[in-house]
Formats: sequence, C-alpha cells, structure tokens
Amino acid sequence: MTTALGPRTGTTAPLPAGTPAATRDRARPVRPWAKPLTYVLLVALSALLLVPFFWMVSASLKTNDQVFTVPIRWIPEELHWDNFVTIWDRVPLMTYLRNSAFLAGVITLLQVLTGSFAAYGFSKIRFPGRDGLFLAYIATIAVPWQAYMIPQYILMQRAGLVNTFTALILLQAFSAFGVFLMRQYYMSVPDELVEAARIDGLSEYGIYRRIMLPLSVPALASLALLTFVNTWNDFMGPFIYLTSNDLWTIQLGLRQFVGQFDAEYAMIMTGSVISVIPILLVFLLGQRYFIQGIATSGLKG
Amino acid sequence: MASTTLDRPAAAPRRGGPAGRRPAYVNRRQVRRNTLLGWSFILPNFVGFALLTLVPVIATFGIAFTRWNAYAAPEFTGLDNLTRLVGDENFRVALVNTLYYTVGHVPLTMAASLGLALALNRKIRGLAFFRTAAFFPYITSIVAVAVVWNMLYNPSQGPINQLLTTFGVSDPPGWTSDPTWAMPAVILTGVWKDMGYYMILFLAGLQTIPPELYEAAKTDGANALQRFRHVTVPCLRPTTFFVLIMLTIGSFKVFDLIVVMTNGGPGRSTLVLSQLIYREGIVNGRFGYSSAVALALFLLVLVITLLQYARNQRLET
Amino acid sequence: MKRRIVQGLAATAATALLLGGCGSGGEAAADETLDPDAPVTLTVSVWNLEGTPEFGALFDAYEAAHPNVTIEPVDILADDYPTKVTTMLAGGDSTDVITMKNVIDYARYATNGQLADVSDLAEETSDLAGLDAFDQDGSYFALPYRQDFWVLFYNKAIFDAVGEEYPTDLTWDEYAELAERITEEAAAAGVTPAEGQTTYGTYQHTWRSTVQAIADAQTDGDQLSGDYEFFAPYYERALELQDAGATLDFSTASTQKISYRTMFTTGQAAMLPMGSWFIAGLLQAEAAGETDVDWGIAPMPQAEDADEVTTFGSPTAFAVNKNAENSAAARDFVAWAASEEGAKAITAIGVVPSLQSDAITEAYFALEGMPTDETSRAAFEPDEVALEMPVAPTTSQVDQILNEEHQNIMTGSVPLEDALATMADRVQNEVG
Repeated sequence: MTTALGPRTGTTAPLPAGTPAATRDRARPVRPWAKPLTYVLLVALSALLLVPFFWMVSASLKTNDQVFTVPIRWIPEELHWDNFVTIWDRVPLMTYLRNSAFLAGVITLLQVLTGSFAAYGFSKIRFPGRDGLFLAYIATIAVPWQAYMIPQYILMQRAGLVNTFTALILLQAFSAFGVFLMRQYYMSVPDELVEAARIDGLSEYGIYRRIMLPLSVPALASLALLTFVNTWNDFMGPFIYLTSNDLWTIQLGLRQFVGQFDAEYAMIMTGSVISVIPILLVFLLGQRYFIQGIATSGLKG
Repeated sequence: MASTTLDRPAAAPRRGGPAGRRPAYVNRRQVRRNTLLGWSFILPNFVGFALLTLVPVIATFGIAFTRWNAYAAPEFTGLDNLTRLVGDENFRVALVNTLYYTVGHVPLTMAASLGLALALNRKIRGLAFFRTAAFFPYITSIVAVAVVWNMLYNPSQGPINQLLTTFGVSDPPGWTSDPTWAMPAVILTGVWKDMGYYMILFLAGLQTIPPELYEAAKTDGANALQRFRHVTVPCLRPTTFFVLIMLTIGSFKVFDLIVVMTNGGPGRSTLVLSQLIYREGIVNGRFGYSSAVALALFLLVLVITLLQYARNQRLET
Repeated sequence: MKRRIVQGLAATAATALLLGGCGSGGEAAADETLDPDAPVTLTVSVWNLEGTPEFGALFDAYEAAHPNVTIEPVDILADDYPTKVTTMLAGGDSTDVITMKNVIDYARYATNGQLADVSDLAEETSDLAGLDAFDQDGSYFALPYRQDFWVLFYNKAIFDAVGEEYPTDLTWDEYAELAERITEEAAAAGVTPAEGQTTYGTYQHTWRSTVQAIADAQTDGDQLSGDYEFFAPYYERALELQDAGATLDFSTASTQKISYRTMFTTGQAAMLPMGSWFIAGLLQAEAAGETDVDWGIAPMPQAEDADEVTTFGSPTAFAVNKNAENSAAARDFVAWAASEEGAKAITAIGVVPSLQSDAITEAYFALEGMPTDETSRAAFEPDEVALEMPVAPTTSQVDQILNEEHQNIMTGSVPLEDALATMADRVQNEVG
C-alpha cells in the first residue's frame, strides 16, 4: 500500500466530516516520557531563539551609552521606560507606522491577488512557452537588487514616480516570489480535481475562485504573512525611493537615529521593539490558518 | 462546496493538465485557447513584473558589456569585463566564499526548518507561542542579532567557547574574529535566523497532505519513519522544491547578514558576491564591471536552478 | 509568438534605457543671474537633519540673511548617504546643493561631470582649510565649510584618580607607556566605571585611519603608494597596546560594535584619539545632561623627532548640482557657507569651520563647556593637517584593501610583516 502513496493519489475517499479528531492525531505519544521531553526541548529552543530579542528589549530600556558594553549587561541598571515616551516626541512615529502599514497592506494584497492568479496559469493551464516564462520569473530572483537598482531608478525617475508610494508598490507587489510560492502549492492539488470541475462546466476563472482559492488558504496565509513582514522590514527600497519625511516608513524612521559618527542605539531598539508589535499581530492572526488546515483536511475544501 | 466534484472517480479523462501527457488530439485551436487563457491569468502580475524587474535586469546584463559610471552614456567594451572577472582575485575569493556559505547554509536550514515545521505541526499546548518563538529570529532587529551572536562567539568571554573549554577543547576557535572560523559562524547565525521563515512555508505545505494518507499508512502498519518517507516526503515535494530554490538563491545573494555580522572580514574571509557587486557599483562607480559580476552570479544560479528544476520534473512524473 | 513580442519589447526598452544617456542632463543654465529679491526655494541634500545641528544652524542663518530664500533640506539617512546620492544623480535629480560627505565621493562626482564648476568662488576665498582636497586639476567643484582633524581627548577624572599629569605634547612611545601605566594603576586603585568593567588607559577605535592615516600624516609615506613599510611602527605600537590590555581589543570592539563615545563618556578609557567632531558631540551631551565627563584635549601624539604638530583630518563641503534648478542661488549659498558668516553660524554649536581666523577661535573657546586650558587651545591649532586619504581614481579600491588587511593585522590573523607585504602586493596588482 505504501508504494501506492504519492502526491497524485490524493483522491482517496475523504473521511466523513464528523470523524473524531482523536483518530487523526498522528502525533499521539506512545512513550510516557516523550511529551514532557518534547516540552523541555521546545522551551529550551525557544529560549535560544528569543535571546537576541531579549537583548533588544533590554537595550530599549537603557541610555545610549549603556547599550554596547563589555561584558553585556542583560538587566539595565535603571529601567528607562521613558524611552518609550520620548520616541514619540523625537520622531513622527505615528506617521511612519501608518505609512508602513499602508505600504505593507497594499503590497501584500496585490501580491497575494496577482501572485495566486498568475500561479494558476502557470500550474493548471498548459500552453507553449509557459515553462520558459516561468523560469524567467525564477531566474530574475537570482539577480541581486544592488545590481539593477540604478537602471530601475532611472526608469522610475523618467516615469515621474520617484518619491511616491506608487513606485514602491509597483516595485514590490509583482515579485516573482509570490507567483512561485503559489504555483508550487497549486502543483500539489491533484489535476483530477481541476479536470472534474471542468467537466462540471466550471470556467477556469470559476475553478480558480471556487476551488483553488479555498483550497490554498494556508499557502495564501503564509504568502501574505511573509510578504507583509518583508515589506514592513524593508529598508533599502523605501530609502532609495522615498525622500519626503512624511512618506517615510518605520524602518527609515529608525535609521534617523544613526548619525554620521555615532548612533543612538537605545532609541533605535525602542523603535524596533515597537515596530515588531504589528508583525506579531499579523503573525498570530495568520498562523491560525495553519491549525485550521489540520482540522479540516486540505482536500475537502 | 468542492467536495461534490471531488467524489468523482480518479479516472476522469485527462485533457491538458501539466502532469498528464499531452494527448494527440489537442489541436491548434485548443492551443490558442489555452494560451489566451493562460496569459489572461498571468498578465496582471506579468505587466508589473516585466516593466519593473525584467527590463532593469535585462538592462543590467547589457551594461555588463560596457564601461559605465551611471552618468555618461555607456561605452561598449565587448567581453572586457567578463575576461577581467577571470583574473580578478576579489571575484575568486567572493565566489568561493559564496559557494561555501551556500553549501553550508542550504542543507542546514532545510533540515532545521523542516524539523521545526514537523515538530510544530501537531496539536500541543502553547503551539502559538512556540511557532511565534521560531519566527522571532526572522523579525528581530538584525543589529540585535549581530551583537548578541558576536557576544556568544566572543573568543575569550563568549559562552560558546567557555562551554567548549569545559568540554576539554584547549584551543577553541576565534569565530567571527578568525578568518578560518568566521564563515562557519556566519552560516550558523544564518541558519538560526532563516529557519523560522522556511518553517512557515513547510507548515503551509504540510497542510496539503491529506490526513487520510497517514491513516491509511498507519492501518498498513507503517511506523513513523516509514510514514515520513512514504507520505510526507513525496507529498511535500512541491514545497521542498520551492524552499530549496529560494534558499539556494537567497544564499547566493546573502548580503545584510554578512554586512552586519562581519562586513566581509576579517580580511576578505567572508566577502561574498553581492557585496562585491555593491562595492564595485555604488562605491567604486564601475557599474559595467559590477553588472558583469551580477551576470556571472545570475548564470551560476540559473544553471543550478535548471538542474534542480529538471530533477524536480523527473521526480514529479 | 506572444513571447517573442514580449522579448522584443523588453529588449527595446532595455536598449532605450542604455542609450538614452541616462539622465546626463546638464541643461541647467550656469550663467543664470541671481535676482536678490525673487523668492527662491533652495533644495539642499543633507544627512540626518535632526541629529546634525550644523545644517539647521547654517540654514537658519542663511535664511535670516536672505529673506527671499527658503531652504528645503532633502533629508537622507547618514548610513547610506552616498548610495542614495549616487542613485539620485544617476537619475538626473535636480536638487540644488549636494553636501559632500567625504572627499572620495566628491572626486567621483566631480570627474563624472555631475557638479558645477565653482573655481571662481574658490579664488575669492582665503584661509579655507581643506580647500586643496577639492582641487581637480586646477578646478574646484565644491567649497569646504567644515574641517575636522584628530586630537587626543582625555578624561581628567581618571588622570586625577591615578595621579598622572594631564597629557600635553606626547610622543607615541610616551603615549603607549602612559596608557599601559594608567591601566595598571586604575586596576590597582580600584578605579572602575562600573562593576565588572575595566578602565583602559586608552581606546583606539577600530577604523583603519586610527593607525594608517596618522602614519601617513606623520611620515613621508603615502597610502596610495603601494609600499606600506611606514605603517610598521604604528602597527607595532597598536598591537603592543592591545597585547598589554591597555585598550579594548580590536576583535571585541569591532564585533560588539563598540562606540568610542560610550568608551569615553562612561569612563572606560582615559584617553581617546578622535576627530574634532566629537567636541560638538560632547558639548551637546553635556548640555542635554547625558554625561558629566570632565574632559580636555591635547595634540595627537607625535613621532620622536617631530618639531611641529602634525595630524590628519577631512573637510566637508557643499557643491552645486549640475542639474540644479536654481544654480545661481545654489552658488550663493555655497559661497556663503564657506564665508565668515557661515563659519560663525556653525562655530556657535561647536563645529570646527573650514575658515580659520582668530575671531573664530575666540568664539569657539568661549563656548559653554569648552575646556579653556593652554593645551586644549594648542591642540585646536595644529601646524599641519594632512588629508585623511589622498584622492585619486583608485582611492576607494585601495581603501578597501587597506581596510581588509587592517582587520587581518589587528585580529592577529596574519603576522604584521606578511600583512604589509600582502597589502603592497594587492595594491600593486589588483587596483586599476
């Protein structure tokens, strides 16, 4: 039986919707010590993963002169909570957060929409030149941005788009990353499913909207999450294209504390801690979809 | 809603799916119809992509055959830039370092992120917390990452070397301040930082695997390892392919991490290709040569991607 | 077929982009006359406007003297200033005045024909320190308004605590001995900045200039020459200080991103060779109540046989963009910033202007918080200020090589003699 299992055999009759979750719990530990051990390991690992973040929080509560010391002081001598107040006066943080949220939101939306739409064309419709075009997509990912930054800027300058949000949205909303990610996900959806829908008389657009989209919620969620995080944290794009201070994003705003000869690292870390919060919210919202995916089998839609 | 169509027998006639062999009766009209349909899906994304990425990238490759300072009109120099690459010691060092980073970073990150995804793709208490923790390295300020890891790596006072010393290592490595160990140190930090990112992709991929397959395998008496090999691995293949390609490309393009961790040093021990592209272009103002380095990097990645693509196509059919 | 069309389109667009001359405009009228009353909005590229008070001081003073002019700063982040300016100029940007953060980038913009010739303005000036650095075959494309040079900062409290005399005119050997002595004495006397921390005799920052530029200035060596034996005594001293534990070691300082400012203001280093820009930083921090360190300045340590004080430094300048929208107004601003009035405006906030006169020095030492002892005054007027790094088309490449080998030497990865030989070898073979 196991030999028959492959990615294309997904049409195994689905279980009735009411199957108790317990019978599906493939991770049920057999040995009594397995579960506590897993927890110990996971907690230890989490600690290791969170150490730099802890440093970041600690630095955000220090004065600039105390941020970099040898040896590192993990708990500040005195806690400068006022940093979290001062920063709002020092820079227009609200404007920066709003700009970042706007850009990340619009870019994520466009990326998810056009990316998943194009991915359908790349995975479920066969036409000449398709694979070559797809390779061109992937191949451009391989060119570092530093290499084509100047030609791209000249293009934007001539189009009169420099120093507008439009420039950044156009640059980042159509990246090959989203197309590639969604295409791979659609590849794992059995063609038989699409065929059956075609026979039922659904148009390709209908199949995309009524079958593929609902099926690919976890992938859409991960694409949205990663795009949001990348856009939110992007520095070079906004730096090159946005000049007016009222268009600046949070990452640009934080670098404002870097001077020619010295930097106010306490403020930078304070701002960084604040800037992580929206990402956390998006993450906590988005990752629910991965759990839901487990509960309702990917194939039952 | 889709379940009604799903219950149809698997033997539904194949028409034009990518996996199916192309049937002989597909005629020209069918091809034209499919082409139009396909393009109608791709076009909204393609317009933006072509204008703003493809065109500048192609222009860059054109510039690789010129001498250009970004201001005056470029001067065509034929293959000069490319022949210069061959004898350029900086290029050789950066290429070797980039390959070193990639060879170390790709398999380790792959294993770590898949391991994390498998561990966190189950119902356990505090799941949201553990997943968030795993994603944190990716969203922590890169400056904080550099400082803390460099502290951990500190040759005399760092905890890593203190641990090594207690285990009897008499001469522990100097990590980021030692040319021999700087690259392994950067690779390790890179894995730590990226694994949460790729974990997300694997988690999404794991959702595509129907639990029924595991049930069936279990009924057949397959143990956990066998289920992993015969269910998880094949079903996850599209995701694995994606992660592999993105990781490979990401490793070849590594920039930010190196800049904050070592900035290419000590000496040239961690100088990578994208840093060289940046230096030659923006810093030295030799955009022709900088583009030639980019072209070389591109061709290298293209060959590797094509190999992986071909291998993937073979495995999928 | 469609694909071919797309490819064709892409290729055409690419060619157009390539052959289009790429923003080398130059249409701006250089002979435009200046109407002193017409309202003008002058755009000036600056870095980190909020954290660099000299810009605000200059702009306010200029606007006060020229009511018809409104200055609109184009604020660019300090970290990647050259990246953005290079990109902007390549795109044909029309910002009027471009601030030249360093001489190397200036040389590149000037030779590429991106800046307007201001030689006539340069001729009218006198006593402008650092002007020579902007000489491009007899023409000038920028005028310096500030000139920084290196001095030796010291922490009076630490000197008092260990009972050492304040430094006045040290030689390098005396400096090294003093640093080692203070480190030992501080440890013996229990002088520590905070628990678990050490008071070092000095702090040598990680930049290569700390060793190489001063060696260039004080010997007849040349950093572009491809022969680096003249670095040897300076490196030997730097390594000896590090081995003796009299300064924080290079590896730790560079990987932990140690700030020289923190080392000095928190009392972790008794001495600090550093640029004069740090004076303004200290004055500002004191005014804001961030530090109460009691400091003074002395001339940089000198070679054994030196009979005058030689240090190094680098000027900062304003240039007129060739594509400037208001080139006449821009020229006026550049000339004004380099004049007595411009110098006064930045002196008021502790920045060292290019223009030097007794009046300026008086005004400088009258500043609140400024040490007024004789040594500090002497340090402020060195006999010779060499350019930090000579300017030539190969400068940035040589700079990278010297920097890489500097790391190899200071981390102890490569023995000094070998690294100096490699340096010479690489500069002779790789640059060009």
